[in-house]
Amino acid sequence: MRTFLRRLTSFDDDFDFRRVWRVGTTISVIVFLISGAGLLVRGLNLGLDFEGGTAWDVPTADLSVEEVRDVLRPEGQQGAKIQVIGRGDNRTVRVQSDAEDVETQNAVSEALAEAAGIDVVDISVSTVGPSWGEHLTDKAVRALIWFFIAVSLYIAWRLEWKMAVGALASVVHDLVICVGFYALFGIEVTPATVIAFLTILGYSLYDTIVVFDRMQDNAATVGATGKVTYSSIASLSLNQVLMRSLNATISSLLPVVAMLVVGSAIMGAVALQEFALALTVGIAVGAFSSILIAPPVTVWLKEREPRWAQVRARVSARGEVIPAAATAGPVPSAAAEVDADRPATPKRTVAPGPAPSGRPIPPRPRKKGKRR
Amino acid sequence: MMRGRMKRSGLRPMWVMVVLTVGLLAGVLAAGWSPKLGLDLEGGFAVTLQPIEEASSDVLDQSIEVIRSRVDALGVAEPEITRQGSTIEVSLPGVTDRDRARELVGQTAELRFRPVLSSFPGSLEDLLGDLPEGDDGAGTDAGDDAEEETDDGAEVTDTTDTTEVTDGGDAAEDEAVEGQAGAGPATPFQDETTTTADGDTTTTTEAADDDGAEDPAPDGEGEQDPADAFRLTPREEDDPDAEVTLAEYDDDGNVVYTYQLGPAVATGRIVADARAELLLTGEWVVNLEIKGSDIGEFNARAAAPCFAREPTCPTGQLAIVLDSRVVMAPNIQQPSYQRDQISISGSLSEREAKDLALVLRYGSLPVALEIQQTREVSATLGSDSLRAGIVSGLVGLLLLSIYMIAYYRVLGLVAIASLAVSGGLMWVVIAWMGETRNLALTLAGVTGIIVSIGVAVDSNVVYYENLKEEVWRGRTPRAAAQSSFGSAFGTIVKANVATLIGAVLLYLLTVGSVRGFALFLGIGTVLDMFASYYFMRPLVLWLVRRPRFLERPRLLGVTTAAAAPQGGATP
Repeated sequence: MRTFLRRLTSFDDDFDFRRVWRVGTTISVIVFLISGAGLLVRGLNLGLDFEGGTAWDVPTADLSVEEVRDVLRPEGQQGAKIQVIGRGDNRTVRVQSDAEDVETQNAVSEALAEAAGIDVVDISVSTVGPSWGEHLTDKAVRALIWFFIAVSLYIAWRLEWKMAVGALASVVHDLVICVGFYALFGIEVTPATVIAFLTILGYSLYDTIVVFDRMQDNAATVGATGKVTYSSIASLSLNQVLMRSLNATISSLLPVVAMLVVGSAIMGAVALQEFALALTVGIAVGAFSSILIAPPVTVWLKEREPRWAQVRARVSARGEVIPAAATAGPVPSAAAEVDADRPATPKRTVAPGPAPSGRPIPPRPRKKGKRR
Repeated sequence: MMRGRMKRSGLRPMWVMVVLTVGLLAGVLAAGWSPKLGLDLEGGFAVTLQPIEEASSDVLDQSIEVIRSRVDALGVAEPEITRQGSTIEVSLPGVTDRDRARELVGQTAELRFRPVLSSFPGSLEDLLGDLPEGDDGAGTDAGDDAEEETDDGAEVTDTTDTTEVTDGGDAAEDEAVEGQAGAGPATPFQDETTTTADGDTTTTTEAADDDGAEDPAPDGEGEQDPADAFRLTPREEDDPDAEVTLAEYDDDGNVVYTYQLGPAVATGRIVADARAELLLTGEWVVNLEIKGSDIGEFNARAAAPCFAREPTCPTGQLAIVLDSRVVMAPNIQQPSYQRDQISISGSLSEREAKDLALVLRYGSLPVALEIQQTREVSATLGSDSLRAGIVSGLVGLLLLSIYMIAYYRVLGLVAIASLAVSGGLMWVVIAWMGETRNLALTLAGVTGIIVSIGVAVDSNVVYYENLKEEVWRGRTPRAAAQSSFGSAFGTIVKANVATLIGAVLLYLLTVGSVRGFALFLGIGTVLDMFASYYFMRPLVLWLVRRPRFLERPRLLGVTTAAAAPQGGATP
């Protein structure tokens, strides 16, 4: 374990991501297809906000689903969906029905309050018009499409369009898998879920951009030698940013898991639960795709460029060079950074000194690491 | 040169950040500003409204004004009424009377012209105070409203008799509609008729009788529940085709006059324009212009009958009613008007004239609003969510701190401090927005903040990993800290800008909770970039120059490749 951790945290490790890509991408494609199929076959369990109707949240320590159904029968609402959410002090019975007129809603509220032995004002009631969900979905989908377009353009501008394609592929992948997860397990989709999905996109994109940024740096430095294939550069970059990705994922997950465990499981807050579940799934998938989806897609596109195709042909004739320790050097500092001009200026004059070529130090720990 | 300055004042930006944050926080606390909590955290009632058809933004703004005035009448502490694209969001924190709130915001406000059947000064309560109102009034109106009862002229007569209906209202108000071209001196003064009516209540009674007997409204819709005569018609029962009892209010919301009004003869749609004008005599009037296509009908249905004191308009007054409130009830002084030659006069103050013109111009909402969504959150659920959010947020932060410090040691502390700085600024922003923009922090907003914590920590991690890598490659921490910030900050900016693009788009293009999420995520992202550049960087650069850390780089969580086998960076 110690060795594994050391390998993970060292910067010289030459773990060849290209081998994982094949497996990882295959798994991803399979999961993607299952999710997509689940989405098409089972469809989403859309919540009140999308379907329209009325929902009552009744705080009650002991009212059972059957008792609630008995209460609802005289009101003509026996078809209502009844769930128990949370536990302990936060135990809540949620009733959902398509009751639309105010009289029925009020009658149900009163009946429920009486059964639970609480005041009517302690019951939370939401109603949603039948066309509202469509409006909401329309808006969300439109926002999402614009988001994809704008972010792709931004990445194409700051990095390059092939990376935009890779990022887009990974983001769509995350989205489909998360939505598919909800479809397969029949978990209710609420506006909170939508927010969670959007959050996931944000995280995933952040991770992907960090990887791509490093890939671009490396392509400009290591790649300039003409001896390293683009896929090796990508693998090298992933080695370099892997710890960041892991740490970022862990640090993003910690508050969310706290929210899931403390907020919803222990304290039973329903709103948090809906949100935290989607996030926990999504952050994991997002971290996965920024390593296993976005880079391979971009690599695949890049290696079709004449320049990288040539390198690939040359390299495969001579045998692969694994660049990690051999050629890499402290690459990042040597990279041309456009947007960090001011802080970067003094460094650029310094950086090229120790930066390129094989200093004796890097290879050593790798060997030792491996011997252990 | 940069480095030379760094040595002396490298920490200055950091101190500026700290002083700024602490100063602003102190200011906010001193001013007593605290974040305004949204409905889902505090409890209350929220309604989302959408126009049934396309509506211009002027019209929507006017709708918001109408809703605001209704909500103000309800006495809600801090109503939040916002327009998001074509939808209107109304949040009424602390409101638990769902029906009342729903009724308040959901009704379409329409400007209507109704002939005055009778009127009297003061409110019904003033007059009916000693009547046994309970039985007929409150008892019947709940159940019988929907039903159409046969008209009972006697009842109405009774009412009018007891209530000393007078037409004096108009005289007192001294309002008149007159054609500018030639208000005929033929028009007898209202006072004369009024006096007659006043002295002999039967005049009015007769009017009511006439209405019932000779001019039965079609479909019985124009008839009034006898019980209604004892009370003001509630807004939701303000049917344009029915007779209603409505009041005119002063600025403080007290009833000045109570009117019995006939079915509406026109709506605000006929109004082409209305302007307040100061006459040479020093008197303010409102010039009303009616659409060419509607003037004929206006004359036929309103001007002529009122001028002739027909039974449908026995008082000769035409009331302008907006949102179930009588704005004014001027006398009609001509049997017919030209469309652009109508002026409303009568000891109007400048403000009254301008308000009236505004009401006439925009008061009619050609669009009905439909309730799309209502949310009622009980105060207990709200506070539970808030408590759960705070507790889990704190636990999450604690776990995060432990992890960051375990992994990055002193640098981890820097990350926490940097988070504290942007967190402090976030508090300032939230409080400021709650205080001045009336923007509330909702559960979705809290989520956005939690996500932005993740983003902020990520920025630190990106930098530290770059730093560690360069140290690993054999640089001194000092040199590495300088050089790695450049590439790290480049990455941070790229990634944050992508997040920001997402946040801005979501804010602009969505409605409801997603919008709140996007707003706070965006703010958090911007603050993070500030904190990274002006707090994290100077502090790290300063730290790596301390001799203590130069000797023991592992305190910074960094390790060189050479040192790795003996120690290792991971605990």
